[in-house]
This record gives sequence, C-alpha cells and structure tokens, in this order.
Amino acid sequence: MTLRAVLFQAFNRNSGILKHQLESARVLYVHQQSRSKGSTQYKFGRPWHVKKVNQSINDENLTTENEEFIKEVIHETYTQHPSPLREEPWQRGEYLKFTRRCGVIGIKLGLVPQWTKTGEKITTTLVQILDNHVIRYTPPEEAAKTAGWHPLWRKFGSVVVGALSSDPRQFKKSYNSLFAEAGVPPKQKLTRFLVTPNAAIQPGTPLTAMHFRVGDYVDVQAKTIDYGFQGVIKRWGMKGMPASHGVTKSHRKMGSSGGGREKAGIWKGKKMPGHMGDRNRITKGIRIWRINTKYNVLYLHGPSVPGSIHTYVRIYDTILPHKRPNPDDHPPMPTWFEEDSEGQCPEEQWDEELFAFTEPSVEYQ
Amino acid sequence: MSSDTVTFTTAPACSIGALYIHTKPITPDVYGNTKARRARELRPRRNYLLNEDVEKQRRSLLQRNPEVESSVADVEASSDLLQNLREKMPEFMPRPDILSRDRILEKLERQDMYRRREVINIPEFFVGSIMAVTVADKSAPGKQRRFVGICIYREGQGLSANFILRNVIDGQGVEIRFELYNPTLLKIETLKLEKRLDDQLMYLRDAPQEYSTVPFDFEPVPLPKGAAVPLNPLKVKLNRRPWHERWERMNLKGVEDLGLPERFYKRAQELAKPWERFDLMKQYRSTIDDDEAQTVMKEVYAKTKNIQSLRRQQRTQKQKEK
Amino acid sequence: MAGSVWRSWYVQKVLARQSFSTTQCLQELRKLARVRVVDNSALGRAAVAIGKPARIIHVYNKREVGYLGDKVLLAIKGQKKHAYIVGLKQKQKPNIPRFDSNNVVLVEENGTPVGTRLTAPIPSVLRNKEGDFTKILSLATRFV
Repeated sequence: MTLRAVLFQAFNRNSGILKHQLESARVLYVHQQSRSKGSTQYKFGRPWHVKKVNQSINDENLTTENEEFIKEVIHETYTQHPSPLREEPWQRGEYLKFTRRCGVIGIKLGLVPQWTKTGEKITTTLVQILDNHVIRYTPPEEAAKTAGWHPLWRKFGSVVVGALSSDPRQFKKSYNSLFAEAGVPPKQKLTRFLVTPNAAIQPGTPLTAMHFRVGDYVDVQAKTIDYGFQGVIKRWGMKGMPASHGVTKSHRKMGSSGGGREKAGIWKGKKMPGHMGDRNRITKGIRIWRINTKYNVLYLHGPSVPGSIHTYVRIYDTILPHKRPNPDDHPPMPTWFEEDSEGQCPEEQWDEELFAFTEPSVEYQ
Repeated sequence: MSSDTVTFTTAPACSIGALYIHTKPITPDVYGNTKARRARELRPRRNYLLNEDVEKQRRSLLQRNPEVESSVADVEASSDLLQNLREKMPEFMPRPDILSRDRILEKLERQDMYRRREVINIPEFFVGSIMAVTVADKSAPGKQRRFVGICIYREGQGLSANFILRNVIDGQGVEIRFELYNPTLLKIETLKLEKRLDDQLMYLRDAPQEYSTVPFDFEPVPLPKGAAVPLNPLKVKLNRRPWHERWERMNLKGVEDLGLPERFYKRAQELAKPWERFDLMKQYRSTIDDDEAQTVMKEVYAKTKNIQSLRRQQRTQKQKEK
Repeated sequence: MAGSVWRSWYVQKVLARQSFSTTQCLQELRKLARVRVVDNSALGRAAVAIGKPARIIHVYNKREVGYLGDKVLLAIKGQKKHAYIVGLKQKQKPNIPRFDSNNVVLVEENGTPVGTRLTAPIPSVLRNKEGDFTKILSLATRFV
C-alpha cells in the first residue's frame, strides 16, 4: 500500500486526527503523470471530527450588563483561576544532534527592506507570533497508536500548538474541552509539530518569538496565495501559441493532451486548467535576520514565505543538515522561558551582519 | 439567561460550553445541505485573516500580553502643522492598498525611519529642488562620491522611499536614483529648496540640456526661517519630437506650448478621463483616510520634533569624547 | 499616475485591440541596438559623420542582453569591432547612474582601447572591474 493510500484510509475512518496532520510530513511535492488507477494528488478538505464553530451564538439575546458580566467571567477564568489539571514544571531536555524542537504559528505581516552592514539591500518578511501556547504533548508510544500515524514518525512525539486566543462562546463545547489540559483560552488555529522526546514541552507553555534566535535558519510552511481557477499558462507555465500567423482560436490552450496507441488516453496527473494556489508549501532554510520582542515579530530573509498577508504560517527549526545548529550553540530547549533572561530582554535584536538603524552610516575603509 | 445560573464544574473551559446546548435539531434539506454547510459555501473563500480580525486579536484581553497601543491623543498639533508635515515627509504615509496593509508592519518600519533620521539629517525637498548626495563608494578616492542634481521624481513609502536626481555632465545627461533610508547615503543636502508646477519632471529628458544642468559647486541658497516653499513658475520649452512620452496627454503645467498639430490635442482629449476627478470610490481606494493620516502624522510629529536637538547633543557629546 | 510615465500609451492602445500584451519599453541592448561611441577614436567619429551609428551584432554573455561592463561586438563603418558598454539608457538599480544614451568604448581584440580619451562620464561601479577594463578606466576623466 502506498503512503497516500494509507493516509486516505485513515482519514476515512474519521478518528482522532487533527486536520493538519499531513502538513508535518516531509513529502516532496513532485508532479508526475502516471498510468495507474490510484490518485496522484491527495485532496484535503475532509471534515474534522471535532466540530468547531458554534452556530447558535446569535440566538442569545443578552442585555448589555449580562454581556459585560460574561466577558468579565471569561477573562477571570483564564487569568485568575489556573487549571486544576496543572502539573509541576517538566524537566528540560538536552539538545542533541538530531533534536527536533516544537514549532510556532505566526501570521505573515508583509515585506520590509533592510540593509546589511556591507550596504546590500535585502527584502525581509515580517511574521508575528501572536499568543501561541502549547495545547497538548503526546509521547511517541501513545502517538503511534493514533490513526494515520506513519511508521517514519515512530521516534517523534506530537505537540499541538494553538494561536490566537478567542472567546469560548464562539466554539462548541467539544472544541473548548481540548484546551482544558493546558488551561488556556480556546484558540482560533491549531497545528501539530513532530518533536523528539527530549524536546517534550508542557501543555500551557507560552511560545514567543524568543523561541528562535537571530541568525538561526527556519523552515516556513503556509498556504499559498489563492489564484482561483486558472488556465494552463499561468498554472503550469506552458508556453501557449503565437498570437498571429494563422493560429485559430488557440492562443492560451493546453495543446495536445498526450500520445496514441500504447500511450493512448489522458494519463493521470495531466497538467490542465484548474484551481491554483491555496496549497500548503514549505520554504526551507530561511534565515532570521532580526527579532522584535515587544511585538513578537521575526524578520525572515527574502519574500519567500508562502501566502498572502495575514495568512497563518508554521515556523520550525530547519531540517536542512548544513544549516542546523551545533549542540554546543543550540537554541533554547524546549523553548525560551522568561526566567532564563532574568528580565534582560532587549526589544530589538539584530543579526551581526544586519545594519541596525541606530548605528552610524555604512562607510568603507 | 440570568447570570445567577452560572456555575463552575471541574474545568472552567467545559462549563462555559455547557451554557450553550442545542435545543433545536439540525435537519438537512432536500439536497442534504445543512444550514451550516450552505452558510459555509456562501462565505467568501479566503485563506487569510481580515485586517479587522487580526487587530481584534491583538487587542483582545484574552491574549497573554494584549497590545496596549500608545495613544497620540495627547500630542498637540494643529491640522495645518500635520498637513505641512505630510507634504514635507510623504514617505511616512502608509501604502493605500487595503489588502497589503498591516498596522504593526507600518509601525516597525516607521520606527526604523525615526532611528535613521536621528543619525543623518534627511532634509525637506520637493520635485524641482536642487540637491547634493554623498554616497559611500568602495572604489572612489576618499571612499565617498558626491552627486549634485535636480530632483525630477520622488516615490515610495516607508523604507523604500526614493528620489531621482538629474544632471548634465560633459554634455551627457545622467540620472541616479537614491534611496532615502539607504545606510550608504552619508549626507543629503538640499542646496535650493523650491517647488515646480508639476509633481514630476521627467520631461526634462526631452528638453534642452540647459534646464537640467546644475554645476557641481552649486552654492546652497538659504531661505528665511518659516517662509513658505518658493514656487518656480518656470515653463520649459521642449525639443522637437520624437519624445520619450506623449507629453501632450499628460496635462503638464510646467511646459510651454508644445506647438503640435491640432490632431494631437484632439486625440489627447479623446483619451482623456475627465470624470476621474469626480470618481470618489477611486479616490477613496487610493488615499489614506484623513483620521488615520492625522494619527500617523501626530506620531511622526512627536518623534521627529526633537530630532534636530538630539543630533546636536550627540555631536557635542562626540566632540567632548574626542 | 507615475507608473504611466514608463509606458507607451499608443502601442498599448493599438495592440490591445488585437489582444496582444506588451511589456514596458525596456531599452535593453540586444543585437542590432544602436550605440554611441564615447571615445575619441577616428572610427567612432567617422561612423557618426556618415550617419550610420555603430550597431551591436553580438553580446558576450549568456542572456545576450548587454549590461554595464559587458563586452559586445559592433558593426561599425562596415567593420567588426569589440567594445565595452559603459553607459545604459535602461532603468537602473539605486546608486547606479542611468545615462541619456547607450555608451560604448571601442577596444581591439587584445583589449587595448582604440581611443585615447573618453568624452562621457563613466559609472563608478565599473571601477571594481578587472582585466581589460582597467585600461579603459585609465582613460576616464570623470566618474559618476
């Protein structure tokens, strides 16, 4: 059975799989034609087993005082009453060579130019990390029992991270109960990261931009810009046909759809017009040039972050071997805690090679 | 629903959900569509969050560290002063494209711009002003290079703000684009501050070279303090056609009568869009709301009013250290 | 408004009717582009006197579009001559000058310049170039 067939079955079973499970798989997006009967492209969009949105919220007709009271109550429960399920802080693991730490959910803000100390201009993408908390940690043995778990992931545990705390009234009870263990308000966005057991992280731990360091490399995963239904030239980069010289009604068409005889018929994976964009894509090995700790913003190299402005973005330490840090000089394990810095956390942190605007102008000697 | 009936059970999160129990069963219609599915299909397909939702989240009290936006309400500045500032430093205004706007991005960019302005003086200038720019150059003698010219174009918002200087050197027209916030720009001076009748002077490429020539040893022209920016009502006489652009179609005020046959002006009139000036939606889409502009310029005023004195202090400190 | 300055409206209007799409006028130096010779060589001056300016017949780089400092092959007064590009009319990046004419300097096969003086300023970025270019830089009087 192919990997895709296994995952298709697992999804069909409608068991406890989180929607973005497949996003953490290290699958290369290779477009190939094939003559097989099975599907070459796996299509997402299956309903999630835990219903999220509470449709009946507008049926409540509360007076303004009741409304305010409920808001106060909600605010108090999450700030003043810690979850009775809370445990003692977990022990911190040691950073080894093949460690995989937890990742973070950010929101892409846009592009801003920066300059290096040698005077070269670079484009940077700003990503804001808004209110991330760890929701759940499952060790490898338990995680392996969940449906859809691939044997390749046997060494990894699973960490569920949530972003953007919201009013619990807009969600269903079953969704809200997911956050009981962590003791945090229900989140708009959930995702999962594969994590080595030494990077186990306690539910309820907040994650900020300080989870990363300036100069580190990260992989960034997001949904690409939705272009809608697009023709073959824009979608697949085909060349089309000449505008004149006798060409009849076929300027931007696909042209031929294949061969004949033994190769007859249209093969699976034939490039045709269709929906373009809104797909998960990963850009690997992006450098972090700068971190702003006040707004939790990362300055990532280049315009390479997929997606449009205000899309969710998954950021985690890169898997590229030559860009991973040494165990001697490793990022905070399992994450950065406020007590580590002893209150000395500069608002802006610049890379050594990046020009900080507080410095004098760049001059050559 | 009265507040007296609220009770907490084991975990707070569960109890909040327990207040809202479905009483009506959800029945699908003939086609098997539930109300929720129909609502979902009618919703616009979007894989990004709207600006207003992101802002709501940033300020929500449920956030771990909700953002407390620093208020500019206590900044005292008249609307005239702010309008003046807006003309003087147009690069601080945000880009009008709604889908690519983000408050935090703009704020962080503006912070960098203030920091840079504390290090070097970025003077006031307009299209038509004569300026001198000193740039750091690896291969030049003294590792610096100075270019003097007339500003023919100015564009860009934020850190990518730039302008083009034009000059004629040894009979050869030269134009260089400089970025205002590039750290290799060591010095920007406005030698002669003035405005022209047009907001861009690209037609100088099709004008005699005398209009673009500025001597490299041009002496700065001082202006009395507080005076309005002088307007140079010069009308340029262009060369004979062919031109780089169809200047007759561009409503230029700073050129003399172009002396073209009647058919050119007739065609220009046919292609003209005089209704655009009444197109309110177009204006709305391409400009920033006045209230928002005021808020931004108030912040700019508050941060930049002390820059001159700050830089003077830094200079005296450096001299003392020496 | 500012963006329209770079576009030729007439071409766009006509070709729009025929469903053509056009790019901006890029002012690139390709084959058969006419260039101005900015040294004081007799050949350069003679070509101007006849009324047949030098034309590029080959650009020595992968893309076959000339950039500052690229070597080109010119057809000038009926002969073939090598030259280096020292000025472009094309839109340039910041800090790099854009000239009102496409300027070249004639060189021999071995790289020695044909003329003895240059009449136009040279972009300062070319000062970092090595090899044959140093001989041209020694002739330059003015850098921009």
